[in-house]
Amino acid sequence: MNDVFGGNAKRARFQALCQSLRPDLLRFAFWLSRDRALAEDVVQETMLRAWKAQDSLLNESAAKPWLLTIVRREYARTFERKRLPTVDVDELIAKEEPSLGVAADQELAEMRAALFKLPDEYREPLVMQVMMGYSTAEIAAELGLTGAAVLTRLFRARKRLRALCGEDITQDPDE
Amino acid sequence: MMDHAQYRSAVLSDPNDPNPELRAHREVCAECAAYTEKLLGFDARLSRALRIDVDPPKTAGAQPAVISFAGRPRRIKGARWLALAASVVLGFVVVGMVWVVPSRSLAAAVVAHMAGEPDAWETADAVPKPDLDAVLEDSKLKLMPKAGTVSYASNCRFRGHVVPHLVVQSDSGPVTVMVLVHESTAKWKQFDEEGYRGVIVPVKGHGALAVLMKDPHADAATVTRIAANVRESMVWTP
Repeated sequence: MNDVFGGNAKRARFQALCQSLRPDLLRFAFWLSRDRALAEDVVQETMLRAWKAQDSLLNESAAKPWLLTIVRREYARTFERKRLPTVDVDELIAKEEPSLGVAADQELAEMRAALFKLPDEYREPLVMQVMMGYSTAEIAAELGLTGAAVLTRLFRARKRLRALCGEDITQDPDE
Repeated sequence: MMDHAQYRSAVLSDPNDPNPELRAHREVCAECAAYTEKLLGFDARLSRALRIDVDPPKTAGAQPAVISFAGRPRRIKGARWLALAASVVLGFVVVGMVWVVPSRSLAAAVVAHMAGEPDAWETADAVPKPDLDAVLEDSKLKLMPKAGTVSYASNCRFRGHVVPHLVVQSDSGPVTVMVLVHESTAKWKQFDEEGYRGVIVPVKGHGALAVLMKDPHADAATVTRIAANVRESMVWTP
């Protein structure tokens, strides 16, 4: 099997990948978990797994979705390893105030608080589409859903988020 | 023929869906066009909200990754695994040193760059062709006349690379074009940042273009049309 990080450049290439992709992976893990500390753990574990499995990455341009898949699996493993406590969303928001920028920009903070209140099944595809630039087909492949199911979730996600943000939703269509 | 509800359902799922049926409906329905404008504005705010600051915590000190690994001995199995982790830690320390620079979206970076070069908008006179060719030469690029009059051309440092920064006089007013061969985007991304309306355009094999207007009231369709014309006017040389 070919190794895209072959030869002497192996470590340098892997470091370059970390440098370029880690911020977005950390953001993705944060919106997945709504917990900064857990997100950092997940991404750190992801990088270790990626290092071990780098031979399976045949094309460097596929690194981002490859790493994102590992992030999702690693996050899922946190549920296998331990039962995460159920917490109130308002408590989560209060706990993550520094990451949500509450003091810095009220408008963005409100949007971020609203994102915290979105159900996981709506928040995740929305983050993949808006932040990671995934197409509907790519989201469907990653989440194991049909394209129609992804579009339904994205529709509901935006509709609910707009309502949570106090937007005028009178012109939004019903399902 | 698509009705209003079908159109709005589709754009709520993906406001940047390039489906020609959606575009056709938008062109004949002012209400749905206005609805889309508002939705794109909402999505731009959403995009900014998702991009949380990922600076490492200040309390982590100079070697955050080392501290973090040390706190998880249960995850490390055997000397070989320790050696492997140590090598990766070295990498993370290097990455962490670069990581302290705040990351922000490409759109926000383009807008910030423009704001720092206000003289780019001062003239509508054409840049002499040899000067324009010289700016584009390093990017192995030529611009066909149908792009419009180029009134400003400069090579600028942007996110660690030197990139062409142009102002093109379109029929809807001046637009800024930045040729970003070192960036990449999977699809067209519209943005509305600090009074600038623009779009990041993928250019297959040549990175991306940022095209933007200094007009918060410019409609997305106009910016998109201009961006498409600029992209079609580009000729890449070997």
